Amino acid sequence: MACVNGDGTLTQSAKSVLSSLDNKPMSAEQLSQLISVPLFKVRSSLRDMKSMGLVKMTNDEHYEVTEGGRKLLSR
Amino acid sequence: MEYNNNQQEQQVISLPRIGDPAPAFEAETTHGTLQLEDFKGSWVILFSHPADFTPVCTTEFIAFQEIADDLRKLNTELLGLSVDSVHSHIAWVRNVKEKMGVELTFPIIADLNKDVAKKYGMIMPGESTTETSRAVFVIDDKQIVRAVIYYPLSTGRNMPEILRLVKALQTTDEHGLATPANWQPGEMAIVPPPKTQEEADERAASDEFECKDWYFCKKHI
Repeated sequence: MACVNGDGTLTQSAKSVLSSLDNKPMSAEQLSQLISVPLFKVRSSLRDMKSMGLVKMTNDEHYEVTEGGRKLLSR
Repeated sequence: MEYNNNQQEQQVISLPRIGDPAPAFEAETTHGTLQLEDFKGSWVILFSHPADFTPVCTTEFIAFQEIADDLRKLNTELLGLSVDSVHSHIAWVRNVKEKMGVELTFPIIADLNKDVAKKYGMIMPGESTTETSRAVFVIDDKQIVRAVIYYPLSTGRNMPEILRLVKALQTTDEHGLATPANWQPGEMAIVPPPKTQEEADERAASDEFECKDWYFCKKHI
C-alpha cells in the first residue's frame, strides 16, 4: 500500500488513511474498521507513513497526522 | 560450533515445524512492504507457487481467490509468494484479470532473493533449486505455525481441503476437541481420550458423549 505516487501526490488509499486520521487520532484497529481495509494493509500503510513523517504515534498507540501529512493532504 | 557449507545450506532450507513460531519477515509484495507482524490477530495462509505465468499456478490463484471471502469470514488472510519480481506479479495479476476475468485481491510476495522461501523451507532442491514448491503454511492469530502442506510442482492444491483445515483448527481452539477423518463443519468432533482410569470410567458412564468405547467418544458442537 504505497503512500505516494511518482509525482509526489498521495495515493487514493493514503488519502483515505490520512483524511480519516485528520478528523480524529485512532489506532490501526479502529482505522481498519472505519475505512473497511484489512488490518495488515493499514498497519503496513501506517508504518510507511510514519517513516515518511506523515503520521506520528501518540502515547496511547493512536496515530495522528503531522503538519507534513496535512500539507501533502491539501495538495 | 563450526558448520561446513553443506550443513549451513541444510540449516537454512529446513522448514518450521507445527507448533513453532512462524519465522518473522519483511518482504516486498504487490500490496507494498509487508511484515508477518502486520497480520498479528488474523490467521494467515502463506503459500508459495513455482512461477508467475504458468498454467497450474494460474488455476491455483483463481481457486485461492474463490475461497478468499470464506477465509476472510474465518479471520484468515491469504499471502502468496514466488521467486519472481513484483513487476512480474503485477503483470500476471493484470493478465489473470484480463484473460480469466478474476481479480486477485490478496498480496503476493516478490521473493527474488529467496529470503522468505529459505526461512520457510519452500524450495525442494531435489525438484527445483530455483522455484518454490507448492507449500502452504497455516499460521494462527498468535503467529504460530499450525499446519503445513506440501505439493509438488506438477500438482495443483485442493482449496476445499485448505478451507476445511482452517475450520478444523479453529474448531479445535474454540471447543478443545479434535476432528476425525474427513470431518466437515457441523459434524461431530472427537473428545480427547481420558488420561486417568477414573476419567475413563466417568466418560463411559456419561450420556454427554456418543461413545464407541471409553477412548473413542464424539460430541456435537
